[in-house]
Amino acid sequence: MNVHELPMIAFTILAQMSVGAFVVLGIVQIVASRRFGAQAIDKVTDPALYAIGPVMVLGLVASTFHMNDPMNTLNVLRHFDSSWLTREIIFGAAFAGLGFVFAAMQWKKWGTIRQRQAMALLTAVVGLALVTSMSMIYYSLVTVPAWNTIATPAQFFTTTFLLGALAVGAALMGAVMWRIRIASRGDVPADVEHDVVDPDSRKLLTSTLKGIGIAAVVLLGVEFLIVTLHLSDLAGGGAEAGQSAAVFSGAWFVARLVLVFLGAGLLSVFVFRYASSKAAARPLAILATSAFALVLVGEVIGRSQFYDSMFRIGM
Amino acid sequence: MTTNLGFQFDQTLCTGCKACSVACKDKHDLPVGVSWRRVAEYTGGTWQQDGDTFVPNVFSYFTSISCNHCEDPICVKVCPTTAMHVGEDGIVSIDDDKCVGCRYCEWACPYSAPQFDPSSGHMTKCDMCADYRAEGEDPACVAACPSRALGWGPIDELRAEHGSLAGVEPLPDPALTRPRLVIVPHRDAQPTGHGTGAIVNPEEL
Amino acid sequence: MANNDLAPTDQAGVSRRSVLKWSAAVGGGAALVGTGAYFGVLPGVGAENAVALTPSGDDKIVWSSCNVNCGSRCPLRMVVKDGQITRVLPDDTGDDSLGTQQIRACVRGRSIRHRIYNPDRLKTPMRRRPGTKRGAGQWDEITWEEAFDEIATTMTRLIAEHGNESIYLNYGTGTLGGTITRSWPPIDTPVARLMNCVGGYLNHYGDYSSAQIAGAAAYHYGGWIGSNSFDDVKNSQLQVMFGNNPLETRMSGGGETFVTQQAKKLHGVRTIVIDPRYSETAGGIGDQWVAPRPGTDAALVAGLAHVMISENLHDQEFLDTYCLGFDEDHMPEGIPAGNSYRSYIMGLGPDGIEKTPEWAAKVTGVPARTLIQLGREIGQARPVHITQGWGPQRHANGENQARAIFTLAAMTGSVGLPGGGTGEREGKFGLSMANPFRSKNPVKTSISVFSWTDAIERGEQMTALRDGVRGKDKLDTNIKMVWQYAGNALTNQHGDINRTVALLEDDSLCEMIVVIDNQMTVSARYADILLPDVSNAEQLDVIQQGSAGNMGYAIVADQVIEPLYNCKTIYEMMTEIARRLGVESEFTEGKTQEDWVRQVVEESREANPELPAFDDLREMGVWKIEGPSYIGLADFRADPVANPLATESGKIEIFSKPLWEMAQTWELPEGDRITALPEHLSTWEGAEEARTNAKFPLQVIGHHFKQRTHSTYGNVDWMKEAHPQVVWINPIDAEARGVANDDLVEVFNDRGRVQIPARVTTRIAPGVLSIPQGAWFTPDAKGTDTGGSVNTLTSWHPSPITKGNAQHTTLAQLRKA
Repeated sequence: MNVHELPMIAFTILAQMSVGAFVVLGIVQIVASRRFGAQAIDKVTDPALYAIGPVMVLGLVASTFHMNDPMNTLNVLRHFDSSWLTREIIFGAAFAGLGFVFAAMQWKKWGTIRQRQAMALLTAVVGLALVTSMSMIYYSLVTVPAWNTIATPAQFFTTTFLLGALAVGAALMGAVMWRIRIASRGDVPADVEHDVVDPDSRKLLTSTLKGIGIAAVVLLGVEFLIVTLHLSDLAGGGAEAGQSAAVFSGAWFVARLVLVFLGAGLLSVFVFRYASSKAAARPLAILATSAFALVLVGEVIGRSQFYDSMFRIGM
Repeated sequence: MTTNLGFQFDQTLCTGCKACSVACKDKHDLPVGVSWRRVAEYTGGTWQQDGDTFVPNVFSYFTSISCNHCEDPICVKVCPTTAMHVGEDGIVSIDDDKCVGCRYCEWACPYSAPQFDPSSGHMTKCDMCADYRAEGEDPACVAACPSRALGWGPIDELRAEHGSLAGVEPLPDPALTRPRLVIVPHRDAQPTGHGTGAIVNPEEL
Repeated sequence: MANNDLAPTDQAGVSRRSVLKWSAAVGGGAALVGTGAYFGVLPGVGAENAVALTPSGDDKIVWSSCNVNCGSRCPLRMVVKDGQITRVLPDDTGDDSLGTQQIRACVRGRSIRHRIYNPDRLKTPMRRRPGTKRGAGQWDEITWEEAFDEIATTMTRLIAEHGNESIYLNYGTGTLGGTITRSWPPIDTPVARLMNCVGGYLNHYGDYSSAQIAGAAAYHYGGWIGSNSFDDVKNSQLQVMFGNNPLETRMSGGGETFVTQQAKKLHGVRTIVIDPRYSETAGGIGDQWVAPRPGTDAALVAGLAHVMISENLHDQEFLDTYCLGFDEDHMPEGIPAGNSYRSYIMGLGPDGIEKTPEWAAKVTGVPARTLIQLGREIGQARPVHITQGWGPQRHANGENQARAIFTLAAMTGSVGLPGGGTGEREGKFGLSMANPFRSKNPVKTSISVFSWTDAIERGEQMTALRDGVRGKDKLDTNIKMVWQYAGNALTNQHGDINRTVALLEDDSLCEMIVVIDNQMTVSARYADILLPDVSNAEQLDVIQQGSAGNMGYAIVADQVIEPLYNCKTIYEMMTEIARRLGVESEFTEGKTQEDWVRQVVEESREANPELPAFDDLREMGVWKIEGPSYIGLADFRADPVANPLATESGKIEIFSKPLWEMAQTWELPEGDRITALPEHLSTWEGAEEARTNAKFPLQVIGHHFKQRTHSTYGNVDWMKEAHPQVVWINPIDAEARGVANDDLVEVFNDRGRVQIPARVTTRIAPGVLSIPQGAWFTPDAKGTDTGGSVNTLTSWHPSPITKGNAQHTTLAQLRKA
């Protein structure tokens, strides 16, 4: 495991998860709006939305540990026309800022629905620009063969949507369990679940989870394809590429693949099959949370190995 | 019109002694772990056994590198703060007041020219001894070389005198950053991308 | 040796102008910030003082030098600010031409600031805490007076009880080149001058560098001659270097690195390097590399001789005229037939073995076809410049190895001619400096440089015929006191460190060890009394030149800074002890150190009239003169009758009658042999034994390393970073042991164990390890040396003739740690 780059591992994973979750929530909104009312949707998705802010902030805080002289941090904004790192920081801050504004609008119901949707769209676009800049930081290093490949942006976006989707699933179920716990405090009614979650929400929830399950399985396939293509690409490269390829082997590499496979593959299939309006909340919550946790650990290992694979050409 | 400066390095004379590197450290008071000039040993070849005897087919040579003050400096391009900048005479240097110590330039430079100094939290690097040059003196490394393997001057003049070779293993493809560097190759020098040896002292770089 | 007809080199504009210029230059540099971490170790020299220089009158540049035993010697210009050296600059006089070159210091000299201000500096006199073992590291700080009193008292008692021969000056070359401050040769040291005022001390002959070859030259040439200087290869058709590696062992940019590189560049002479290592010299100026197993050079020469004799490529006329013992027609009286070199080679000698290239291939590991090509090439080139370094002779058969290479030079007929050579190490043009400070030792007894441990253990049993005691048939006393001034042979540079440490731990044997040094060296750990010496930057001396082809020079190294801590100069220390012994006026002759230095320069001007007067030299720092190339034995070659050698026959003695007689009379350990001819000897732990020794199958040599001059500079952080200690191993041997480059490995034999990283490299012959010599012995709790001193593995077993150190004759095994 790469401890040296821990701040960057934390920042990139958390920021990508945040962007992914935001976009997934947006998709849920759009898809669900055809069948459910805005109020029902907001009721289900808002808790997840509010969770994104702190996660993103955590990521940004982690990123500052990468600066060895924080006193000069503001200087990183100077080179927008050339440096992807500057762009990343600007888009990162913008995403966090817009996200907060949007969350506040949702909370206080400021503005019209249209205005809020426009804000959400803008935030999502900035978020995607953030992930793009983030990947370009590495992709643009022509001196690092393991990074200077389409696999870098592909992997970053896959991580974004995979973690984002599973995080949303876990957050939605987490919110349900939270409400059940609040509602059941004091007495022990027989059917708290039905009181807490109305049928519409339940339907929305289960179909969202089904969607997330499908997405996870598809993204899992994409991720495995990227890994395979990246490795075969490195195998055909020079000495530095060979050194990088050697990183993607051994116990950690296998552990990453197994964890992502278990989380995004196996458990997501269970989620997909189990998610019906008659399903009990608790097992569904456990499934969704476990899937998210496994994939998160797998992606952290993957990102750590991504930094480990930094072998620069030259001397 | 400005004169862009560069280094010239004669691989046939370099003994890998690192007087250049240590003279630089002495001049700039660099701590262990920060070396503005580094020397790579590139070695390869084979031995064939024939009964009780062995036949060597061995090559080895050294390459002393500091900053090449590239025409297309990737460090300047990636730096988020503009601390890394191209100055007078094409010299790439660091504005200490701006550097945030993110070490992105360190990732990018294929010559390891930007070196991180943990005590300041900033990147540091060769400025070709701007103070010495201002006094008409040679940079410390050039004046130090016991073998007279190092030179410096306007890159056009160096190229006119010594040719324009810079693509020698273990150096990167010069197309990447267009270094202002001229190498007089060792007899066993291998072109970049066609090396059969390896850097055997990576921990010293 | 200075030639009066030669004009001194241009010294224009050295001092005043450049001082001003540099003051301004350094003033512009803001880079001096950040020294705090390093200099923080010094009292009153913290980060607050390490600020950027400002152009002020306080800044000055003072000439100094690097005075270590590397064979070169470099002036240094030290920038001083507020009494502290802030930067070290190279020589800026002269040019890039042979004979007038700038003497650019090597990497070590450039790091000298971190040696002067090293955390290991000794700061005040110390005494081993009573009741603790030597080497336990328990010290009590004492005053200088206590130290001087104790030494004087003990000396007086030991001289009374055991005589002056019980006091020994151990070999040490930590400060070399100076005239008043030098630590070698022992007779030139201030310690010897003190001892000689009170009756003298036990001498030693030979040195750890060249014991065997120097002894061999005495039998072969009647004394040390020196091969032709390296600049003279301009007259050669071929250059052959046996274990000679100027690019690593003579690293100065004014010395032989510069000379050999320039000669190659200018004249392109074809160069063959014969060395088990693909040295920097092989890679830098060699056109061909031949890699024999260590200790087989005499066999290799025999194979070449076979080719040359068979194909009639040797210079018979030269051999007939100038040499004794090459063939049966030119033998000394009374020697039975079959004992000439030719008979040995052609299988007509007592062993009946013809030394064919195939025979030599089996011994050396060099293919017969290579030997045939080499024999033909050497045989056909005229003249051939043959030299050898100190590596071939630092073996159990070292005397024969050295003499075999001399013999090859004779067979080419190139001895005494421009472009030729004697087969010894290269000679040089040099100034001969007066030494009025040198004293005379009333004691004539001497032992070999390598046998002092024996003399501590069993001195009274040591004899002339068994142990090479000279000046007496046997020693009358064991060594009871050792002076170690600026040297590390007390442990680190001697054979078998673990055995040496065990010997020193028994303080009933040697009763007093006084170590004078400025660093806490490995040897200093084993002192009873530690006297903190100043560095050469803290005192004035006139410095003699190093080997620099055809350039002569002298340096006045001025006092740059005040003595650090509570350190004193060696001159002051010895004066104080002399006072306590009642011989102060004999010791000082009423002169200060500066008086002596002035006297050296003034008296040297008698032999070298162009040499500037002291005050001028002091301002110039370094003065150079271009001389002629050195041609070894030119006069003998021109007229062998008028200019006979100092051998018995007056000729080059390929067959040595004195050795023939020694072979009959000397008592040698089982297996050791002395031969009158330079035969290949298969020895203990030699190349042949390596192939049958299942336990320890790898030969271990210890090449000279860029990080250090022997052990000097071995504690400088910049040097350890630039050139970390590693053991070299061939990929074939590494693979067989599952070892990859940079893996931590253990090298061990019955004498000890070292643990350092492996450098897996094609640059060393299969079956051979090289652990660069001089690393500081650093035993861990289990006794494993994590510093990687090769002498943790070497032995006390001396070579047969000169009783010299055979430290490249060592077998060991290696495994992954």
